[in-house]
This record gives sequence, C-alpha cells and structure tokens, in this order.
Amino acid sequence: MKPTYIKIYATAILFVFMLPACEKDLNPYDSKSDNVALATPEDLQTATYGVYARLITNTYSTINTAMFGLSEYQGDNIAANVPQASAFSYSVRYTHYPGMAATTNFWNDSYKLIYSANRIIERIKDGESPVLDQIKGENLFLRAMAHFNLMRFFARPYPQGEGNLGIVLKDNTKLDFPARSTVKEVYDFMISDLLKSAELMTVNKNACFASKEVAFALLSRIYLYKEDNENAIIYANKVLESSRYHLLDTDQYKTYFTFVPENNPETIFAFRNNIVNNSKGTLGGMYYNDPITQTTGFGQIGASLAYAELLDKYPEDARHSFIQRQLEPDGSQLEQNGVPVIYVLKYNFQEGETNLSSPVYLRLAEMYLNRAEANAKLGNLQQALDDVNIIRTRAGIPDAGLYTLDDLKDHTSVLEVVLEERRLELAFEGHRSFDLFRNNLPMIRAYPGFHGTNNFDHEVQPNDPRIIYFIPENETNVNPNLDQNP
Amino acid sequence: MYKKFTAIYCGNAIINALMRLFTILLILCLHASVFAFAQRINLDKKNATFTSVMKEIKKQSGYYVLYDAEALMEAPRIDVQIKNATLSQALEKCFEGLSLQYVIKDNNIIISKKKRVPIVMAQPKVQQKEISGRVTDEVGQPLEGVTVRIKGFQSGTVTDERGDYRLPVGQGNHLVFSMIGYMGHEEAISETTTTVNVVLKEDVMAMDEVVVVGYSTRRQSELSSAVSIVSGDDLRDVTSNNVQAMLQGKAPGLVVSNPSGDPTAAPAVVIRGSSSITAGSGPLYVVDGIIGGSANPSDVESVTVLKDAAATGLYGSRAANGVVIITTKSGKVGKTKVDFNGSYGVNTAVFGNVHMMNSQQLYEYQRTFWDPATFDRDRPASLLEQNTNWIDLAFRSGITQNYTLAVSSGSEKTQLYISGKYYKEQGTLHNNELQNFNLRSNISHTFNKKLKLDVKLNLTTSDSETEVSESDFYTALYAAFTNMPWDRPYNEDGTVRRGTEPDWMGNVKANFLYGWQYNFDKGRSSSISGDINLHYTIRPDLTFSTYNRARYTNAKGELYYDARTNAGNGSGRLANDFNYGYGLISSNRLNYDKVVGKHSFRALGVIEGEKNYSDVNGMVGQGLLPGLHVMNAASTAINTTGTVSESSFTKGLVQLDYNYANRYFVVGSFINESSSRFGANNRSANFYTIGASWMLSNENFMTDMAGIDQLRLRGSYGVIGNAQIANYAALGIYSFASQYAGYSASFPQRAPNDDLTWEKAKTANIGLDIGLVKRITMNVDIYDKTSDALLLNVPLPGTSGYTSLLQNVGSVQNKGLEINLRTHNLTGKLQWETNVNVAFNRSKVLALNDDKDIIAGAANINTLLRVGEDLNTFYLKRWVGVDPTNGDPLWEIVNTDENGNTGISSTNDYSIATSQIVGSSSPDFTGGIMNELRYKRFSLNAFFNFVSGNLVYNRLRGVYDSDGVYPEFNQLQLSNDESRWLQPGDVTTHPKSVLGGNKNSNQPSSRWLEDGSYIRLRNITLSYELPTTLLSRLKMAKASVFVSGDNLWTGTSYSGMDPEVQLGSGDGVSFRKYPISKKVLFGLNIQL
Repeated sequence: MKPTYIKIYATAILFVFMLPACEKDLNPYDSKSDNVALATPEDLQTATYGVYARLITNTYSTINTAMFGLSEYQGDNIAANVPQASAFSYSVRYTHYPGMAATTNFWNDSYKLIYSANRIIERIKDGESPVLDQIKGENLFLRAMAHFNLMRFFARPYPQGEGNLGIVLKDNTKLDFPARSTVKEVYDFMISDLLKSAELMTVNKNACFASKEVAFALLSRIYLYKEDNENAIIYANKVLESSRYHLLDTDQYKTYFTFVPENNPETIFAFRNNIVNNSKGTLGGMYYNDPITQTTGFGQIGASLAYAELLDKYPEDARHSFIQRQLEPDGSQLEQNGVPVIYVLKYNFQEGETNLSSPVYLRLAEMYLNRAEANAKLGNLQQALDDVNIIRTRAGIPDAGLYTLDDLKDHTSVLEVVLEERRLELAFEGHRSFDLFRNNLPMIRAYPGFHGTNNFDHEVQPNDPRIIYFIPENETNVNPNLDQNP
Repeated sequence: MYKKFTAIYCGNAIINALMRLFTILLILCLHASVFAFAQRINLDKKNATFTSVMKEIKKQSGYYVLYDAEALMEAPRIDVQIKNATLSQALEKCFEGLSLQYVIKDNNIIISKKKRVPIVMAQPKVQQKEISGRVTDEVGQPLEGVTVRIKGFQSGTVTDERGDYRLPVGQGNHLVFSMIGYMGHEEAISETTTTVNVVLKEDVMAMDEVVVVGYSTRRQSELSSAVSIVSGDDLRDVTSNNVQAMLQGKAPGLVVSNPSGDPTAAPAVVIRGSSSITAGSGPLYVVDGIIGGSANPSDVESVTVLKDAAATGLYGSRAANGVVIITTKSGKVGKTKVDFNGSYGVNTAVFGNVHMMNSQQLYEYQRTFWDPATFDRDRPASLLEQNTNWIDLAFRSGITQNYTLAVSSGSEKTQLYISGKYYKEQGTLHNNELQNFNLRSNISHTFNKKLKLDVKLNLTTSDSETEVSESDFYTALYAAFTNMPWDRPYNEDGTVRRGTEPDWMGNVKANFLYGWQYNFDKGRSSSISGDINLHYTIRPDLTFSTYNRARYTNAKGELYYDARTNAGNGSGRLANDFNYGYGLISSNRLNYDKVVGKHSFRALGVIEGEKNYSDVNGMVGQGLLPGLHVMNAASTAINTTGTVSESSFTKGLVQLDYNYANRYFVVGSFINESSSRFGANNRSANFYTIGASWMLSNENFMTDMAGIDQLRLRGSYGVIGNAQIANYAALGIYSFASQYAGYSASFPQRAPNDDLTWEKAKTANIGLDIGLVKRITMNVDIYDKTSDALLLNVPLPGTSGYTSLLQNVGSVQNKGLEINLRTHNLTGKLQWETNVNVAFNRSKVLALNDDKDIIAGAANINTLLRVGEDLNTFYLKRWVGVDPTNGDPLWEIVNTDENGNTGISSTNDYSIATSQIVGSSSPDFTGGIMNELRYKRFSLNAFFNFVSGNLVYNRLRGVYDSDGVYPEFNQLQLSNDESRWLQPGDVTTHPKSVLGGNKNSNQPSSRWLEDGSYIRLRNITLSYELPTTLLSRLKMAKASVFVSGDNLWTGTSYSGMDPEVQLGSGDGVSFRKYPISKKVLFGLNIQL
C-alpha cells in the first residue's frame, strides 16, 4: 500500500473515533432524579400533591379491598350475598392470614405515603415562609392520618391498653428495620404532628386538601379513640365553631355522595378521585350494580338486613337514600343465596359516573357525633342528646323520633343512643367495627349473609385476636424486629 | 486505548459516527479507483530483477501483484524504460518475450507461467473423447454442482441442475466425483467408456462444518468452546413462527419453555440453568453478526448456541446467560433456485389431566356440603336439565397456514437471497390469532478483491388478535373453567344470553359468547431492519469490517368494549396505544489473520456502539356509540399516558487466537463495556475469557489409531456479564406519572443505587469431542458457572417507603454436565440416525448479603434464597394431610426450643403453620431425543423432549379444587386415587368441604406441589420425496410432501393441564394457562 493510502485510512479512522464524546447519563422522561425533584418550593408543592395522590392509589383506598372496604367489611352494616371466599371475604369472615394481599398492599401504600411526606418534611424548616409552612403542615397532617389508619387495622384499640404493640412509627427517611412502637407512643406522635400541623397551616384550602380545621377534626377523632373525651370535645368544637362547614339540608343530604368534595360544605376532608378511577373494581362496584343492565359492578356486598330494618323505624329517614333494596317483579325483597340484596350508594355517581366517588374521610356530622359520644362518656347527657338530635333532625326524622333524657326509646343509656346514631349516620364510611371494639362492645351479626364460619349468626368479641389484621407476612419476612399480632 | 474509543460511541453520536464512517468509506473507495485508472507509470530500470520492477509498478499503480514465486525466480533481469504509460502499456512492455503471462483482475495483477500450449496443441484431436452421465444421491435425486474431474488433473466440470455432466477425456483412467457433504467417489474408465452414472453417498460425518461464533467464523475443529449447532432443517420440523419455540430440546443445555399455546405469546429460553433472578435470564440473540434483530424461521440457515465463556465472552456484558447466534440464508453462486414451501394444518387444545365437573357431578358434590335446609332452594334439581361444556364453547380447532417462497441466485460478484412468507395461526381459543408477513432480502456484492458489501433487509408485519369477551375482569379462558355447567349459553330462541340474567348461577355474571359479538382486542406491528456491512481487505492478512444495523418498530393496540356489552358499562370504551422504537448499532472490526509455517495467528479488535429508544403513548376514551371504535367517536377522554425510554451500550474488545499445527489452540479475549443502565460509579466493566483446546486426533501418535475420527479436549474460563435490567434502574427517581385533584404530582418511585453494577458470571468449562468409526459423535461438557454480584430486587421493609431495591447481592452457582450424542445406527438402504442430548444442572446459592435469607414470590407462593440451597426453592407451609376425625386440613408447625431442638406438630390454623423449604422447581435433567429414519424416498423424524425431577406448583387446584371456597365456580373432578372426607374416620386426600371454605385449606402450601416430570413427542414428521421421473415431467428439480404432528403425546403424572412451566427465574408455577396445541399439518416443498 502506498503511504498516501495509509495516511488516508489513518485519518479516516481517527476522524470517526474522534467524534465528540457524549453525555452517558441517560435520564428518564417522566421522572426526575431525587437530587433535583425537591429543589424549589414549587417542587415541594408538586411532591405534596404526590403525597395526596398516594391516598387515591387503587390499593390504598379505591378498590373494594382497600381501606374503606377493609374497615367496613368487619362490621354489622354489611352482608355478603355470595358464599365464595374472594379477597373481600377474609375480612367479612374474619379468616385473615398474614399473607393477605389487601393488607400487604395497604401497609406498603401507607408507608410510601409516609415516606414521601417525610422527604418533604425533612426539607422544610419551620417559619421559612408561609407557603413552606403550609406545605409542611399538610404533610404532617397526611403523615399522622396515615399512621392513624394503620393503627386501626394493625393495633389493638387504645382502651385495651396503651402499652400494647402499635405499628412502626416512621418519622424519618432512613432505610432501617424498626420495631413496633407502643400504642401510646404512636398516639402521642400523631397528636403532636397534628397539633404542629394545625399551627403551620394558614390557608383555607378546599376539602380535597388539608387545612387547620381538617387537622382539628382528625384530632377530635383520635382523642375520642384514645378516650381523652375533653380534648375530643375541644377539637370538635374548634371545627364546629370555625363556620367553615355546615350541614347540608335534608334534601341536599340525600345526594351527599354525588357532590365533588370541593362543592360540598359539609365535607371536611375527602380523597378526591377523578374519572380515571371509574371502574368496576372500585368499592362502588362492589356495593352497587346497575339494576337494569347488571353490568356496572358486582353488588356482592350490600347493606345488612339489620341495618335496613334499623333505618326502617322511621320511613322518613333521609338516610334511606344511601341504600337501595332490590325487589322481585312482584315487589318482594330480592334475595341472592337467601341474602336480601340491598345496594349501598355512598360510593357511586359522583359527576354522574356510576362507579366514581371521592371517599369522604371527615365530615361535619361526625364532629357532632364525636362531641356527643365524648359528652355521653363525661356524663353531659343532655348535650350528647342535643347533638344526636341535630343529626336526626337533619336526617328528616320527625320530632317524635328525637331523644330526650326521659325517652331514650328502648335504649338503656345515652352512649348506646349515640353509638346507634353513629352507626346510622356514618354507615359504610369505615367506622362501625372500630366504634364497637374501642367501646369494648361485641359485634353481633344476627342477620342473613355469608359471614363468619357459622353464617347468619356470627359474633365477635372485642378481645378476639382477629379484630385486627396480621402484620403482612412480607414485612415480617424482611424485618426480623417486627412482632406479629397473635 | 479502546477505552478512549468507547467513550465516543454513545447516544446520538452513533448516528453521526455511522454516517461519517460510511461517507468516508465511500469516498475512499471511489478515490482508490480513480487513482488506479488515472495513475501513469514511469519506469527507468536497467538490469533490474523482474521482482523489483513489479514492486515499482505496484507502488505506482496501487495494484497488488500476485504471483507464483517459482515463476518469478526463473524470470531474467530486464531493461525497461517507460514514460507516462498506462498500466497495461507498462505491463505489456515488461512481459515482452518472457515465458510469463499476466492478467489484471480487480485491483490485482496476477502473474503466472505461460501455459505450455504447444503440448496440448500437439495432441491429435481424434484422441479426444467425451464421457457424460448423471450424478444422483441415494434416493435418486439429481445432484447439482458436483465436481467431476479426471484423476491426476485439475481441470474438470460440474454437474448441472439435472445432475448431468459432460467431460472431454484425453488421458487418465479414473473419474473423481466430489461435493461437499458427500463422500468422494472414483470410477474407473476404459477407452470405450462413454457414460458414467454415479450415486453419491451423503457424508454423514461431515464434522468439520464452518461455525459462526461470535465475531467470526471458525471450523468446528478449531473451537475451544462449548457450542451447539442446529441446522435450519433440524430447526424447522416443528411448525411455529418463532425460532425460540423451535429450538426446544435441540441443543443440550438449552431449555425452552412454551408456557402457553397462545400464538401471540413468546416462549422463555434458558441456557445452562438460570443464574439470574431479577435480571433477565434469557440469552442474548445475535442475528447475522449483530447483536439483536430477529429472523423468520424459514430464513434461518443455522443456529449456533454459545454456552461457555470462551465463546460467549466476546459479547461480554450481556452474554452471562448464553448467546444464540442466528445466521440467515444467503444466495449461492449458481443457477437461480426457487423454493416453495407450504403447509396447512389444524390445532386443537390439549387440556392434559384437567377434567372439569359436569352438571350432575357438580350437583352431587355441592350437596355434600350445602345446608340441607336451603339446598333445594339454592340448587333446584331443575339445574340438572342443563349441562353446558364451557370449555367446548370457548375453544375450537384452529387453522395454521404457512407459505414461503424463496429465490436465491448468484454470480461470482453478486449473490442474492429473497424470501417472502405468510404465516397465520388461529389460536385454539376463539378470537385469537396471529398473522405475519415477512420479507427478507440478503444481497452480497463483491466490488473487487478488496471490497465486499452485504445488504440485508428484513421487513415484518404482524396482526394479532387477543380474546376479550364479556367482562374487563374475566376472560373467556377464565370463564371456560369457572362457569357453571348449569348455566345456559343460549336462550330458547337461540339468541345469546348475557350472563346477567337473574337465574345465572356462575360467579362470572357474563357470557363470553355475548361479548365476542362486539368486543375486540387487536394489535398490529411492523418492524424493519436493515444491515449494511462492508468488508475491506486492507492487506491479504488484514481486513476491516463494519457491521451496521438500524431497526425501526411501530405498533398499535386497540381494545374496544362495545356499549352493548357488560364490559362496555353502558357507554362503550376504547383504549388505544401506540409504540415506536428504534435501535442503532454499529460494530467495527479489524481482523488479522496470518499463517507462518505451522503457526497460525488471528487477532480481532472490535469497537461497538449501540443505542435503543422507544416511546409509548396511550389513551382511553369512553362514550362511544355501538360499533364505533375510533377515538373521534368517544365523548370523553378518560386517561392519557405516554413515556419515552432510552438505553445505550458501548464496547471495545480484543481477541487473540493462536493455533499450532491444528493441534493446539489458544484463544483469549478482553472486553470493556459500559451501559447507561448502571450506577454512575460502576457503569463500565471489564470482562475476559480464555480458552484452549487440544486436537489429539491430529497428533502423530493418534493418526494411526483406527476408528478414531476426532478426539479433542477443550477448556475455557471467563468472566461475562448480565445487563438485562430495566432502563434507568440505578437512578433514585421521583415519578411525575400521577395527579391529585387536577394537579400534577410527583412521588418517590425508586431508591437510588449508585453502586449498581453488572452481574458477572464466571464460567469454567471442560469439554471432550469424540468422533468414532465415522458413525458416532459425542460432545461432553462439564461446567461451573458462578454468578457474582447477582442482580436482585431485594425486598425492603415496606416501612422504608419502597418495597424493593435492585441490588447486587451474593452469588449463585450452576454446575452441570451436558452430553450430546449423535449416532448413525444404520447406514444401508434403511438409514437411521439418532441424536440424544441431555443436560444436568444443579444450582446453589453460594452467598447473600450478610447471608440473610431473601423471601420472594408472588401470590404467597413464596420462594427462598438461602445460602446452600437450590436457587428455585419453594418456601411454603408443609401440608400434612386431613384430620380423619373432623376432616380439617392440617399443616406442619416446626418449633425450635432454646437448645435448638426442633419438634414437629400439626395444626389446622393456616396462619400459624411454619413456612419451610418444601422442594425445588429446578429439574434434575432436561433434554431431547431426535430419531430420523430414511428408506428410499421416505423419511420419518420423531423428536421428543423431556424434563425430569422438578416440582410444579399447581395453582389451578387452589381455585378449582378448593373444598367449598368457591361454590359459584365449577370444580375439578377428582382422580381415581383421590377422595374427600365425608364422615369421622375417613382417611382421605381432601379435607371436608365447607361452604365458603374449610380453614383456608386451599391457600398456598406444599399440598399443591406435584412432580413436573414429563416426556413429550414434540414433533413427528413423515415425508416423501417425489421420484425424478415425475419431477422432470413437472419441470421441477425437487419436490416433497410431508405430514407432521406437534405435541401429539405427553407422558406425565402431573394432574394439571400441562407440566411444561417456565423453568428458571424462580418460577415453576402453573395456573389457568392457555393450553398448548396439538397440531397436525400437511405440507409441500417444491424446488424449481
């Protein structure tokens, strides 16, 4: 080869290889690296929306085996009309096991929420700016709420002993293997978070978001669960007296759950869903199935006959709007496998979409009832009945149906009156079994339905180990410091 | 140095680099020619040696001078004076009066002695006679291209397409016939002989095939590594449109599982056991010398499976799980050939040992556990009037069609191979099918001695339909097993029922027959890939090659639920998704090849860069009027999604190869590669391999040993990597793919792992190749493959905010033995050839981070990673049996006291039973047996594959044999050796059935583990070659007809549908799978 050619080849090869070196850090398009994702207050705001977004993930709150279902299925307001053991039936029948997907997902989702909140909380010093304080406050609220929801599922009720095992208290972003804190430690932590958050939040955001009164409302509930009745009243009052919320009138009330939260003056806090979450797999799809087409859902769990009959004491009761008895062509009650089919309508028809709903987490009626229960326990019986009567009046019950100290209508105590009203008013919103067990009362299901292993006649005592769920198996597998629930 | 180079080859720069490289090469080529023709020669030499004159001409012209050294030695010294002459003029002058001649060919001047023409001339013409004849093979097929010459002379001729030849014969008394792949043949001739017809026998022991390995080709005898070769013909016995599916059982150590009969599903491939868990365990595919790509089975010339480090090493980073090299056909020099291949057949679903209950059986079974008081109300006897077989309604006989037309042709300069293919397979499930068109064009052109170009284009389009029916929750596959035999599919008037009627008993309130009328799930995709390869011979011993491929894919998916159906929710719903992707790869190689005496050296240097990109967009709309399934017709947009993903790889490698006297071989290579997928701290990695072999049979002391054709010992060791993980896997990221209350939201999606790096496999291999008495070949390999820095999604405590983190943990060892035995049992009129391959593999976890157990698995079917245990260990509660006193299920509790003593007891409480090791899904051995019988024009092929000693988790039973948990699901019939508990004292296999379930008895436990061993007749083919007499009348060169059957028989004790489950990757779970198909096909091959 001639030297010229060697030169040409050499130049050519060098030329090709001496192209400018390029950046080898390829970054994803729909994500940002940790290092830059929380740089500015705007980033922190976006990430805070992300913490809220954890509330509406399928497995946290939307599908039928998520938070609102798992809470309600253990109570006596519902009845399953199919005999099969689907994912929901482990809750309905109290046949839990540590590997249940529903509780595993709920556990993981909860701590993801807590972790994302902690990432933000760690970035903000108090008093930097009102905007940042508000952001931090909202995250403190969300963190406390997530802990509280975990406590309801995995730890025994406070009155059964503050030294019992609570859940893992997570106030940092460390990758560690923590043990469970005691019930008291977790309650103290939640309360301090909420007090701090109420202090930091100064913007009156709508009911899709946290604000000062939202924190107060949750404090009222937590104090009630803790049997700190004075504080339960104090914080219920702070909400009731804030005049940010008011009860819907009776007619509007009948369509309460079709409102979007931001347009509902009674809702204190709700998990805002949009049309993406309109699917058969939602809790609404479990509670309701279009009677004509039978195609929109499953309708496999409905209101219990016991609950429907309780409502039936006052045919005027507006709360009839939230259940729908299905009838045979001849007008008799439709039954499935011997179980009356009664649809529940608290999780459907937001913006007209059959299975769309933004589950209500806190609403004003609960504040009246929190105050009533606390007053009943403190012996302020008249005040307790006054609050109950406010709720009953709003429900359209005639004066003859209201309580007086002289006429408790077959009830043996004012507390019993309050608890029954809580049951009537807050049914299907995830309160019933907790209300019973924290008050040391048994749950009695003497009505048709596939619950327990002795269907139609099922009783669970408040000291039953199974009133709470097992710590997820995946978690105990990975973290040897976790004690399992007995 | 190449480290510097690799840094350049990444990202968008690759495209630039490719374009520049091409431009430069083209310019260079053009210049070279221009110089050559324009250059004028000036010479002024006196008494110069002829050699020095030629050197000067070479220098001035740029032409190579090729000569016979002996010839030039004899040349006298010459005087020459030339000014400004053309090359030809110059040469003419130099050669004047010499007994030498020259030819200018391409860029070469070829010098040889002048032929001794006068002697030939002197031969009297009368003595010249001609012999003619025909050459055929043993079945009478004419053989084209057979060389026919007279013994002792080089000149000769070749046979034409009819096998005919004519040869003028001057002297000599033997004709020699030879052709690659056939045994040579000599025939004596006498002066009177005019016709010689010959039958050539196939050389069944053609052992020294050329094998495509990695970045080069080698003769098989030169290999130091463990490779298996599957020829295109062996591959194509099974009918499929998928090369992987066809490889099953054909190479030892290569395990292919087809866990589904869905024609749109791809099988899983594992070579030498899975040593990866989170990272992919599939091999790397290399098509026509370039990483990635795909090939239509009908275009495959051969498949080479590289198994040990010495062979896979060059693919360093991504070859830890082996490499499958696919070479497509190319045109051959010779007459144009047209091949047509058509087959047509029927598929039917195979349900194995699964038998669902009929109406009567289910009724009687449910009576045993129903409350007698309500049984007649809930289960009226009128149900027995109906007995629907839902499986029959869901499944059908599908049709498979496969037509290929291929043209191949070639001259010395240009060869081409063009093929077109149409493939259509209907699934055995209704509304499920796959349709493919494929066009391939492989063209090679030799411009001159120095420059060769290959252009390969492959175009594929695919249309697929997946079954969707009446519910977005349950498919027909689900409903076929689940629906109650008591439910009627049709109304009295013959119309289809919806399944929402009040009397519908089944849990799925939907009749899939109804949805099939309106709903569909369709996909289409097209991909085009183009290769441009240039080979430039810089010097006879130095070649530069550049391999470049661009690949584009486009796909669209449409899922439509009509408003009239249940899944349409009254408003109709349409989901579209769109996918676009491209891959660019450039591989540039410098090859040095030198033989000095008995020493032969080869060196290879490669620089390679690759970039992949894909984007996907999706949208969901609702509110569509019945029958309108385009997005414009949707009233509401519900959801939109879209993302983009990229990855890049760069690599540099050198390989050195040395062999002495074809007896001792050594090969070593060193590779540096980097990938964007890994952590910033560990992005690039070095790999190396070394191999050696000793061809004992070429030693002098062996050559006299009778019966030994080949004896070779091989050994290799190397470190190779695995990068089959998701893009961006090392980055800690916030995802922006969510919203709340209409606001864009971000949340932490993945924890960072800056230290994430390549999984590395260290493989040691020792192999022995034996060829005996021209009839037996055996390859034996033993290996030890230890994967370090194993990539694993390590479960994290949920309290950390993440559920897992991709980490490099511990190490896993796979040890094994592979045997491949090919024997020619009969070689007479009846030929019988057997090929058996079997592979034994044992995997073991050697180390884990802090030696801490890792429990993983889906749906509570847990697997355990524990030091010292098999990689695929089931970790479940151990089933004890049924309590005869009350019919309760029992599981084992293992109690360990303070002294470490263990006690075993049993419990009926599932939640407190002890999870423990209960077996493994790793098979003891896997393999295949192929038998081929040939008699005259008939041939019969039978191919079995087998797997032995693995446990399969039969998940189907937890649902359809559930002791009363699912009273609205149909249930499995019990087999003869199974029984249910009915009354105290019964000793049974099944617990008491209880409405709603008996104490979680159906939950995951060792109860559902079964022996998954099986042997399957994967394929049997009978074919017949049409006789020549008939063919010549039909103007065909070759024609054959065949009938073939896939999956006709399976021997197994497994009680589920199919013991064939995905092996490796800690799987081994079988559920409600799409059943595999029995296929019976008829086919025709024609060659014009």
